[in-house]
Amino acid sequence: MATSVSAFDEFKPPSSSFWTLSRTRSALRVFGLAVMIVYSLLTIFPFYMLFVRSFVSTADSAQLHLWIPEARPVDMNSQVGNLAVFYDLDLRDLKDALGIPRNAFMGARETLAQISKKYNIPQEQIENYFEGFYTFNGWYTLLFGSLQGTTFWWGLFRTILIAFVSLGLLILLSVFTGFGLAGLRRRDQMYVYNLYLLQMVIPVMLIILPQYQMFQWFFKLFPGYDVQNSAIRNVLQIFALILINIKGTALSTMIFTSAISSVPRDLEESAMLDGASRLQYIRHILFPLLKVPIVSLTVIQLPLFYNQFLEPYVYLDPANTTLLPFIANRAGQFSTNFQVIYSGVFASIVPLLIVYLIFRRFFVEGVMAGAIKG
Amino acid sequence: MQLAASETQRGILPQAGGKPALSPLARRRILEDWAFIFPQFFIFILLTIVPLIVAIPILFTDMSQFNDPEINQVGWRNFTAVFTDRGVQEDYLPALQRTIIFVILNYTTVYIFGLALALLMYEIGFRGGFFTVIYLPLMVSGLAVGYMAAMLFAKETGSANLLLMKLGLLKEPINIYTATGTAFLLPLMVGWRYAGYNMAIFLSGLLSIPKETIESAVVDGASYWQRLTRIYFPQMWPSFILATTMCLIGSWAVFDELVALGALYVNPNAKLLSILFFTYGFQIERLAMGMTLALETFLPLVLVGVGLQRLQRKLQY
Repeated sequence: MATSVSAFDEFKPPSSSFWTLSRTRSALRVFGLAVMIVYSLLTIFPFYMLFVRSFVSTADSAQLHLWIPEARPVDMNSQVGNLAVFYDLDLRDLKDALGIPRNAFMGARETLAQISKKYNIPQEQIENYFEGFYTFNGWYTLLFGSLQGTTFWWGLFRTILIAFVSLGLLILLSVFTGFGLAGLRRRDQMYVYNLYLLQMVIPVMLIILPQYQMFQWFFKLFPGYDVQNSAIRNVLQIFALILINIKGTALSTMIFTSAISSVPRDLEESAMLDGASRLQYIRHILFPLLKVPIVSLTVIQLPLFYNQFLEPYVYLDPANTTLLPFIANRAGQFSTNFQVIYSGVFASIVPLLIVYLIFRRFFVEGVMAGAIKG
Repeated sequence: MQLAASETQRGILPQAGGKPALSPLARRRILEDWAFIFPQFFIFILLTIVPLIVAIPILFTDMSQFNDPEINQVGWRNFTAVFTDRGVQEDYLPALQRTIIFVILNYTTVYIFGLALALLMYEIGFRGGFFTVIYLPLMVSGLAVGYMAAMLFAKETGSANLLLMKLGLLKEPINIYTATGTAFLLPLMVGWRYAGYNMAIFLSGLLSIPKETIESAVVDGASYWQRLTRIYFPQMWPSFILATTMCLIGSWAVFDELVALGALYVNPNAKLLSILFFTYGFQIERLAMGMTLALETFLPLVLVGVGLQRLQRKLQY
């Protein structure tokens, strides 16, 4: 609370006139810049590698690739069973594309060459079907495949839905909390405030087991919950997740309590004199004044909601899940197709990354404001 | 809190002891305040504090799974299991050891990345571009960071391994799936992820130092090291404590990164305490034991965390 955040643009190294005084100090500065550049490059490196690796098939992954490898034709001696296991080849799709009847038996050890001979399909047709198979396998499997009753796109949709609903409700409720606590004038307000601060030091792992048990008791009140994949089950699970997200954090309480405390009381009193209710006061006068703390909370909470893993993994069924549990399920216990996992990880990063790069200024300022509050 | 103190001095809020007679207006004000506090506070208490209370009777049973139909009372057996039960010890102690190593190394990375970057940033002047890049990994989920670690440092396919070996900087590939590999690389990746956040904490501490003290130190010819230890650090205590609090809770409860490294299934070297509690609760049907172990592990940490919070507030005001 000691520093004003908007002072960033004016912020310069401690007294720039001193820099000209000493050569060692300007050497320090050059050194600092060099370290910063190297560190920034190191930070970007994993993202770049992730992008490249999403195009590198498992068979090629033991060689170093610094750019997307050239597409190579499919090996006609590869067995369909291996292709299905290691590359998630969809056998039904293969049969449809090559004109093989769906009920025809295809042994796991049959090679593509044998299939070509058996069904009298020209090799070129098979090679055409498999064009780019190794290079785009990860992306193809991710974007068009389905897993345990859901797809990448549904996962992304649920992630975004939950993140935005949670964020909106969290801001609304936290503003109310901050309004009720503003000034911290009474002892009861102090108790509430201190309880919210506890959230910062209670790890999720400590409470998630009994919390899950409580939700199980709650869900049992609804008759349709036991039916797998029923609408009520899916809705209840997502409802539970949103409820957990909006319960309020130490940060949200601190940000809004201190922001609303700094709004002059005269403002509220004069609004009351003009006949406004307290809700009207919040809606028309307070909210516009709270832009900075709202942005601050948004830029800190949005990545947390979007990247939430433990709670969705626990509360949502695999068929009803969000993006990250979907990717973790994709990796599963036995999968060796890391290409599709890397594609999934990269795809999961991209949406938030775009938001971050567009609004980077708000992120920087909001995070610094949050860091000052703690 | 500043406000609370000043209003006490002005006599609006009476000193402790004498109970004020509330005017109807003041009473209405309190009720209205509570109408606004209540919705979120109800959810908060229900989902954060009540679970801790709900857990208490379960801790003394042999409840094995959620909605277990058959529950027997076992007294304090779950609590003493850490000291007496061979099977629990074989699970718990290695996980505890790995977690402690991880916490120590992770705390080191807070300084290597966070403090060092903040100092550099402070000396070269604030650059939004650098901040954008350094803060970027925080947009990535813990799960993705775990998969990235595997992508970079898997023994035969790790991109960083392959690149470093090609450049001749590395003879033997690093393997993240070994005990040492996990112990050292995981904190490094987690530190990389939180670098921007820790940097923001320390940078805000640095920015709150009055410029005059620094300038006079420079005029008096203080070396950079002297400036650090005599001027910067003594005035940055709230930042240090905040970073410690965050790191303490965050690293004892690290979970997502470990799942990505296969901790739930195949990789025993990534089984830290949080994974153990999760497995006990959701996978191998030892729910009550898992809850007890979690409580025994985390309760002291929560108390330390509360102490740190109080200390920080005392220093800040």
